[in-house]
Amino acid sequence: MDHAEAQNEFSDFVDGTLPEIKRVEIEQHLAVCIQCRTELVAFKRTLGSLGRLKQTAPPSLLSDVKQQIYKRSHGRFFAPRWKLFGRIPFEWISLGTIIAMLVYYLAVLHGSPGSVHGAP
Amino acid sequence: MSLAERLLMGRLKERDPLAFDEIVRRYGDKVFSLIYRMLGNRHEAEDVAQEVFITVFKTVDSFRGEAKFSTWLLRIAANQSKNRIKYLARRPTDGGELDDAAPASAPDGTPGPIAHAQIDAPDKLLEAAEMERLMQTAIAALDEEHRLLVILRDVEEMSYQEIGEITGLPEGTIKSRLHRARMAIKEELDKNTK
Repeated sequence: MDHAEAQNEFSDFVDGTLPEIKRVEIEQHLAVCIQCRTELVAFKRTLGSLGRLKQTAPPSLLSDVKQQIYKRSHGRFFAPRWKLFGRIPFEWISLGTIIAMLVYYLAVLHGSPGSVHGAP
Repeated sequence: MSLAERLLMGRLKERDPLAFDEIVRRYGDKVFSLIYRMLGNRHEAEDVAQEVFITVFKTVDSFRGEAKFSTWLLRIAANQSKNRIKYLARRPTDGGELDDAAPASAPDGTPGPIAHAQIDAPDKLLEAAEMERLMQTAIAALDEEHRLLVILRDVEEMSYQEIGEITGLPEGTIKSRLHRARMAIKEELDKNTK
């Protein structure tokens, strides 16, 4: 195996995807070839540096995307909601109103019986 | 696709705003990172990342669940990045501008890529920023197909199968192109660091 042949296999060698026979051949070549060993170290260093290039998204990404969708859909999606009532489901508001009316009705019915009967 | 992902997709197809929030939060970094490394320009990357999620919102009904959602999403991100590269190449005065170096931390204070190296000295910080600039320049010197493969495999650490699903390339082609791309980056770095 010569230098070029060994170096052509560096990617598969590092990724661990070489067949066993090929891997052993490269290891034997590396054991006696300082040039290829140096190249392999540099190759691995390059891959290591690439692995540190991950980026994080800007914190405003979500709000920016929603704003764009709101604009392009002419307000159909992601419309700004009322701060208080926008978060309370209408079902709960209806239920609360019904209970309040029931309580009021019962209070009126039992609280002032005189008002039910007309004045003599 | 897992049951949880299928349920999330169902909610997204019904245009549930909370499902959309979850998608952007879950995949925002991965999408942005891919686009930023493809373009090398933060402003352009922010713009394209927004377009990717808008496309997802508009076209999620066409996602049939044959592949993983992340694969489908990154395919959109890769295609839109390539389109932007072509668009910028036609406008030479605006395009081809790489950022000097990524900030050490994001605007919200979370650690940036340089902080991955656990740097505590200013000279090391500069050295890491310089290395990142060299890496980005070396990536930018590749054509867009090779660039995409290196980013998916070595930056985003994806499997060959996932890369095949995103790019539509057979594994053998991916491996040979990836090796050429890696060697080109290494040579570029050797040239600039000697």
